[in-house]
Amino acid sequence: MEHQAVHGEAAHAHWDTSVWPFVISFGILALVLAFSFNFVYHKPFAAVICLGLGVPMIVAGVAGWVSEAMGKGEGLSYGAMGWFILAEAMIFAAFFVSYWYMRLKAPYWPPDGTVELPKIMPLVMTAVLVASSLTIHWGEHLLHKGDQGGFRKWLLVTIALGACFLGMSAYEWTHLIHQGFTIGTNVYGTVFFSITGFHGAHVFIGLSIFLAGLPAAMRGNASEGFVRTAGLYWHFVDIIWFFVVSQVYYW
Amino acid sequence: MNIKEWIFTTDHKRVGILYLIGSITAFAVAGVMALLMRAELSTIGPTITSNPSNYNVWLYAHGAVMILGFQIPALTGFFANYCIPLMIGAKDVAFPRVNALSVWLFYVGIILAVLTFFIPDPPDVMWTGYPPYSTISTGNTALYTFTVLILGFASIIGGVNFLTTVAYMRAPGLKWGKLNIFVWCTLGAFVLQLIFVPVLGTAVTLISFDKYLGTHFFDPAAGGDVLTYQNLFWFYSHPAVYVIFLPFIGVIYEIVTTFAKNPPFNYKMVVYGGIFGIVGLSGEVWVHHLYTSGMADWIRIGMMVTTLMISVPVGLMVIGLAGTLYKGSITFETPMLYALGVMFLFLIGGLTGIPLAVTSLTVHLSRSYYVVGHFHYVMAVAGTFAIFAGVYYWFPKMTGRMYNERWGKIGFWITFIGTNIVFWTMMDIGVKGMPRRYYDYSHMSQFEGAHQLMTIGAIILGIGFVIALINWIVGAIKGPKAGENPWGSKSLEWTTVSPPPHGNWPSPPVLEEGWSPYAYRRA
Amino acid sequence: MLRRIGASLSLAALSWHAAAADYPAAAAARAIKDPAAGWDHLWHEVLIDITIIGVIFALVMTYFLIRYRRKPGDPKTGSAPKLSPAAAVAWVVIPVFVFLADDLYIAANGWALWNNFRDVPADRMEVRLESGMYSWDYTYPNGVRTQNELRVPAGKAVMLRMTSRDTLHSHWIPDFRVKEDSMPGRITYMWFLPKQPGEHIVTCGAYCGIMHSYMAGKVIVLPAEEFKTWLDQEAARQGVAGKTA
Ligand code: HEA
Ligand code: HEA
Ligand code: CUA
Ligand SMILES: [Cu+2]
Repeated sequence: MEHQAVHGEAAHAHWDTSVWPFVISFGILALVLAFSFNFVYHKPFAAVICLGLGVPMIVAGVAGWVSEAMGKGEGLSYGAMGWFILAEAMIFAAFFVSYWYMRLKAPYWPPDGTVELPKIMPLVMTAVLVASSLTIHWGEHLLHKGDQGGFRKWLLVTIALGACFLGMSAYEWTHLIHQGFTIGTNVYGTVFFSITGFHGAHVFIGLSIFLAGLPAAMRGNASEGFVRTAGLYWHFVDIIWFFVVSQVYYW
Repeated sequence: MNIKEWIFTTDHKRVGILYLIGSITAFAVAGVMALLMRAELSTIGPTITSNPSNYNVWLYAHGAVMILGFQIPALTGFFANYCIPLMIGAKDVAFPRVNALSVWLFYVGIILAVLTFFIPDPPDVMWTGYPPYSTISTGNTALYTFTVLILGFASIIGGVNFLTTVAYMRAPGLKWGKLNIFVWCTLGAFVLQLIFVPVLGTAVTLISFDKYLGTHFFDPAAGGDVLTYQNLFWFYSHPAVYVIFLPFIGVIYEIVTTFAKNPPFNYKMVVYGGIFGIVGLSGEVWVHHLYTSGMADWIRIGMMVTTLMISVPVGLMVIGLAGTLYKGSITFETPMLYALGVMFLFLIGGLTGIPLAVTSLTVHLSRSYYVVGHFHYVMAVAGTFAIFAGVYYWFPKMTGRMYNERWGKIGFWITFIGTNIVFWTMMDIGVKGMPRRYYDYSHMSQFEGAHQLMTIGAIILGIGFVIALINWIVGAIKGPKAGENPWGSKSLEWTTVSPPPHGNWPSPPVLEEGWSPYAYRRA
Repeated sequence: MLRRIGASLSLAALSWHAAAADYPAAAAARAIKDPAAGWDHLWHEVLIDITIIGVIFALVMTYFLIRYRRKPGDPKTGSAPKLSPAAAVAWVVIPVFVFLADDLYIAANGWALWNNFRDVPADRMEVRLESGMYSWDYTYPNGVRTQNELRVPAGKAVMLRMTSRDTLHSHWIPDFRVKEDSMPGRITYMWFLPKQPGEHIVTCGAYCGIMHSYMAGKVIVLPAEEFKTWLDQEAARQGVAGKTA
């Protein structure tokens, strides 16, 4: 960005623009309207139309943004990610506090209608997630030493592990729902599905960030700043999982 | 002027002006709601509508839009965007695109809020959205949830952006101890937003979960608890009042120092005592909104003490303002008039918070018009005056032109009189027993006269605001040229041309030894 | 007045102590402390307190504004003296100390009064209240039920144990300076001391739905004998066990 000594607006050279934030915002508006149409006004058809508008807008917006912004300004994003994680941690804190409060006040636990939760699956999931944290860390290390090829390999492994985690989560959910344990069954169901669901959404976001960085990695010019930031987020998701496992599954 | 370069802009100044336009629009909409409410209350029984629901929807929209759509975006959106990069000598913010995303999400939030008037079954849950009513109301609670969520998310990404900007993008040589007080205040507000908005987001999300997905968070019949929501909500919404207070008092500091031509009195006291103190205490007082909600005694009493203690850092900030006037060379242009209005009227608003902080007094005062009077003094009067003061103050910087001084002053005095008529009366009838959120007060007919007086006052103050709005529009189009630094301020934003070009300065400003944004003192 | 200012400036610890010492004595006397009277007293005290603070600040600022306004020929910059480090610290410590003392003084008094609001006299009449959209439903100890009308004997403490069957409501009797929410899933309580026969408005304080503003009732204070007669008659009429309160 060059600047001449310009005077007032008349002489301005050019102002940076980007359409993508606009597109994403209005895509989100469409999603919100879809929710209202479906759940409040019971007009699924209108909801589908809104989804049909909103989802492509958001996907296009994110894709456009990523391709436009790649390689600019990531140096600062590590610090920014720290602040963002603080905000995210507070959401989980709010969920957990509501849960503790409900549970400590309950006359007995688990409440009626709870089914036997799987005990082995969460352990496997934990192992997978921890492993993925290690692999990305190792990949980062290789990247730092300039080994783009090695990084690419470990990035792919990480993505695979993350996907595996989501798959197991989905399997577990369908299994429980089949047994008749749903988000509306009782307060435990409420807590179980909302907390694991919310955490799962974070795994999904983390994966999306990695996927956004994948093309650059494939081309062999992954940026270190980007990877460090994405890795930080991933570690955060991993740490939250420890709370989820210990509080929701094994307590 | 190129429309595309405005709508898709990523420049912080233009994003800021988009924020300003959006939030002033929100103010006008919510202000019209207030006038409708006042019209309805001007007589006992139905006046302009015979359906209480209409009144409740206006009140919901008025509260939610004024706080979430007007004051928070104007203060942390417009002022932060416009002023912070200029004050720290940066070209732009750290993430310009994220900035653009945040302003458009803000517009989406405003659109959702305004949809209230066009959809069937609009939300009528008040800005607090307490369950169980919000989960059984026939109104569209989802709209409330998403309005809050989207505005909250816009604010969070804004906060991340500005904290990063100030941390890494200050002009060379600009140390933390030399930042403008406004910058410190806004950082404090953003830290509060980052910590507390997510909790609010969770609370309102759980409301929609309960209502639409069949969960039981707040359903006592299935083991939930209605008080969980109130705690989560106020855990955010009390700090939110300091998200409003901090930036607005920061604006007042900028103005008072400039028009008194003095550095702020005891900078360190203001920053480390005042701002840090407020940020530190604000998360430990929320139960003062639940004094009549059946909370345990120990926590009421503990939070009574912490709430009262907030008067200490706030008091330090007030002392700082008063001290700045000492031995000044004070002039009284419009921004300064509004700023002085804030200094006097905030005293009333803040001090009337003190009885509210006392559990045993609040047992009578809570949920009455006394509370309504208290928070209108701090927000609707002090907060709005501060926003108006700031817009007048930076007006020449933003537009390169001058507004009309005479009309500015006339507008000020009209609003000043109007606000005091309305909000003083509110406190008076509140103590005498007038409950808030009443569409009709037929069993308390003794208050009719007072309500009529307030309706008249509201019209007066509305006229004052409209004068200010017209003054800005006319001034922006055909005011006389203002020049770089009409107020003779020393702060960095006044060292570039008005309006500043993209990138703000041809090259980053270089600060000499001993530079300070408040270097008014003669050697 | 002077005593009040003196107290507010006294050591924080001292003001705690004063309030604490006051309380057991009163409890021993056990004359019922009427919270409503205590409320009026404390309210005036706090009002005077904040008025003094507000007026002091306003006067100082007004003085500065007049004294230091720029007159023709004045220099165009202010001349505030530079604070020495000691002065800068003093300007923090002294205000903090003064404000804190006042805060704790108010808190101590507020706390003492709160104890009155919470200590229900043993000699009382307990009435259960279930609120709903949009009515107040009272049940007397002998089973008599009334709606939107709470009749009570003069001179006796009345305690309400409250819950709600739908949304939040708040039972507010402005004349007795009390309100407390009622809500589903919890039981809350409040009490008040009706002294003279008369009528007092009950009004709903918590937004509870469309007809929130119409949720009004009455507390009707009757002379003790008249109340007893009424209660017996009601019991007979409603066919509930005739055990009187
Ligand atoms: C900008 C917004 C803002 C600000 C700054 C404040 C500031 C304060 N507020 Fe207010 N408040 C609101 C906005 C705000 N409030 C809103 C919106 C509501 C209602 C929400 C709803 O229910 O819808 C509310 C409600 C509210 C309640 C709940 C009432 C109820 O519903 O029952 C209480 C109770 O404690 C309270 C207290 C205070 C206190 C103690 C301060 C303090 O911060 C004030 C401190 C300032 C001073 C004290 C003056 C200056 C200091 C000095 C001159 C020093 C010397 C003073 C002393 C030693 C006392 N407020
Ligand atoms: C920042 C916040 C803010 C602001 C600025 C205001 C401003 C005003 N408020 Fe509001 N108010 C709240 C926040 C605010 N309020 C909140 C949070 C509540 C509680 C909600 C709840 O209970 O949930 C509340 C509740 C509330 C009530 C209580 C109702 C009740 O409990 O039943 C009343 C009653 O009079 C009221 C009145 C007013 C008035 C007269 C103004 C005036 O100052 C408004 C003046 C502005 C105007 C008059 C607009 C001027 C502009 C125009 C007219 C533009 C012209 C337009 C075109 C040309 C298109 N407000
Ligand atoms: Cu019942 Cu309001
Ligand atoms: Cu508060």
